[in-house]
Amino acid sequence: MAHVLQFRHALALVALAALLIFWTQAGYFGMEILAEIAVFAILAMSLDLAAGYAGLVSLGHAALFGFGAYMFALFTVLWGWPASLAVVLATLATGAIALIVGAVVTRVQGVFFIVITLAIGEMGYEFFFKNRALGGDDGLSGISRLDLSAIGVDLNDPGIFALFLIVVAAITYLLLVRLLASPYGAVLTGLHDNPGRMRALGLPVRTYQTSIFAFSGALAGFAGTLSAQHTQFITPNLLHWTTSGEVLVMVILGGLGTLVGPVIGAVVLTLLRHELSNVTDYWGFWLGFFLILIVLGGKNGIVGWLAAGWNALRGARPDDDQAADEPAEGEEASDAAR
Amino acid sequence: MKRRTALALATAVGVALTGGLAAAEEYKVGVLLPFSGVYAGLGAHIENGFKLGLEHFGADLGDNTITTIRADTEANPGSTLAKSKKMVLQDKADVLVGIVSSAVLGGMRDFIHNSGTPLVVANAGNNDMTGVKCSPNIIRVSFSNAQINRPMGTWLAKQGKKKVYLMAPDYAAGHQMMEAFRKTFTEAGGEIIGEAYPPLQGTKDYGPYLTAAKATNPDAIYVFFAGGAAITFVKQYHGFGIGKDIPLYGAGFLTSAAYVHVQGEAADGTVASLHYVPAIDTPENKRFQEGYQAAYEGKLGSEFAVQGYDAARLIIEAIKASGGDKAAFKAALSKVSFSGPRGPLRIDPATNNVVQNIYVFKNEFKDGKIVQTVLDTATDVQDAPNGCAM
Repeated sequence: MAHVLQFRHALALVALAALLIFWTQAGYFGMEILAEIAVFAILAMSLDLAAGYAGLVSLGHAALFGFGAYMFALFTVLWGWPASLAVVLATLATGAIALIVGAVVTRVQGVFFIVITLAIGEMGYEFFFKNRALGGDDGLSGISRLDLSAIGVDLNDPGIFALFLIVVAAITYLLLVRLLASPYGAVLTGLHDNPGRMRALGLPVRTYQTSIFAFSGALAGFAGTLSAQHTQFITPNLLHWTTSGEVLVMVILGGLGTLVGPVIGAVVLTLLRHELSNVTDYWGFWLGFFLILIVLGGKNGIVGWLAAGWNALRGARPDDDQAADEPAEGEEASDAAR
Repeated sequence: MKRRTALALATAVGVALTGGLAAAEEYKVGVLLPFSGVYAGLGAHIENGFKLGLEHFGADLGDNTITTIRADTEANPGSTLAKSKKMVLQDKADVLVGIVSSAVLGGMRDFIHNSGTPLVVANAGNNDMTGVKCSPNIIRVSFSNAQINRPMGTWLAKQGKKKVYLMAPDYAAGHQMMEAFRKTFTEAGGEIIGEAYPPLQGTKDYGPYLTAAKATNPDAIYVFFAGGAAITFVKQYHGFGIGKDIPLYGAGFLTSAAYVHVQGEAADGTVASLHYVPAIDTPENKRFQEGYQAAYEGKLGSEFAVQGYDAARLIIEAIKASGGDKAAFKAALSKVSFSGPRGPLRIDPATNNVVQNIYVFKNEFKDGKIVQTVLDTATDVQDAPNGCAM
């Protein structure tokens, strides 16, 4: 396992270096894309925590993301609170909501879990869509960014803001790596691989699932506050299930349960989206085509392919990285790179 | 040919008079329209109209030239904001044009307001964008939601319809349209006896809403629906046979030229109001329709195409009026007036919204196809400033 983790950390380092090199070269548009990538990387990592590690594949994650964004906007624009306080409170509020939702939704598993998170997410979408005080479907504008002028950082500069978000994403990655290396992280992996055995071991499975759902939700809400500061304008579309789907695609494209995979997925999907839409109006088709190719390959997303390639180069047997446990039902693909 | 020569001569004289200082300028126009997603159809209409407008009036540019760059807005405010920043800051566009969704416009509003680069709005009808949130940099050549519905309230009351039931999708534009109608209709002595707002997305069956509306026994039903919802609604209204007892009125997007042929017989008898109807009988409209149908497989030019067409002309007229001076060009945009396919129009300097005629028109099913005829025209419909302070 150790060298697998090393490989992933190396990938993360490469991704960070690539983003930073891009940052030195990027124009105004590049900065916008970098900021978008960083926000989605954090959101995708939070979803990976729930879906990839704890096996809670949520199709309502964007609702938590959007909820965080709306809370931030509510606190700053409507109530006039300072942005720094609003980031913390919006994150906590989203975590609290996710805790309540998590306590309900973890009662069911598998496809039922996907459907119930989808339904609850759509409730959130409809709420903000119809809420006139928060702008309804026309959205809410006038959101300002964190004021870091005390330490000489002007976040209103697009370049500085993009760099700030990349740094925040990198710190988030490191914290999550630390979390996953802890006994708590080991429990998560166990829950994903075989919840039945974990229950037999006497573990309060649902409590753990609820707690990780809440933590993942809080992180999604935090990404939402960053997204609101990035575009300085929010609409209920942030909460829509299609956004959830897009983030899930990022996670799967990059590699489910690898933490670095979602980051790479966010980079690739965001870049493809912007670059392809310049080339063709039918960019959605080619994006889907590319995704199918990656997933049909039977490896765990881009990270899985890279790992296989790396192993081939080292001349190691491809089976070296397989975990000793039998893969959980229906999750074979995600275990290929484990 | 003669006119062109005269123009060229005039330009030459103009250049000579200014001592040849006003050299030919290149104007970069950033086209921001949805080419994918739910609004892709509208985006295509507007872009087609815009291209035709450049073709028809390009000669007025004199030595100046227009180059366009385009980007897909989908219905995504976030990515559109990024793309408009690219156009303004990186590509140094002189003017942006397009925007179908009001949410997308809302997302760009603050950036455009602070950027100093003008945006010519070719669809999004949110009242507030030429009201409380107006900006000297946002010029709307399409319509405002209130503008289209206000004249209809007065008109319908005059027709002796005193009790009306309202229906529109439950989103900001739907409510804005109904409120505008309600205000003028009740002021003219009418009464709203009920209203319903079905969800914007996912309403497949309007049966329950129609039954509830019928139960209140109104003189008429006044609605706003657009696109796929308009097609479904009109067909079900016809299918349930309500149209026999209770006539259907609405904001003109209900039976837009873009899809009224799909509604066919179901649209028969429906009366609606809009800023453009293909049936307008003027030389300008004839030229537009002939050009459009020749270029796009005989398809009728819709109000959306006209919005694109007039947006192109607005930009060209402003370039012409400012004589190649880019600083004056921005100011000239909100002073333009001309007679286009939809009749005379000008930009209101107080709000930057368009001032235009609103046409009340009737759909009749004759010989296997829908014929639209103009019943009445409200001239020079102008929005009140509604809190706009430039």
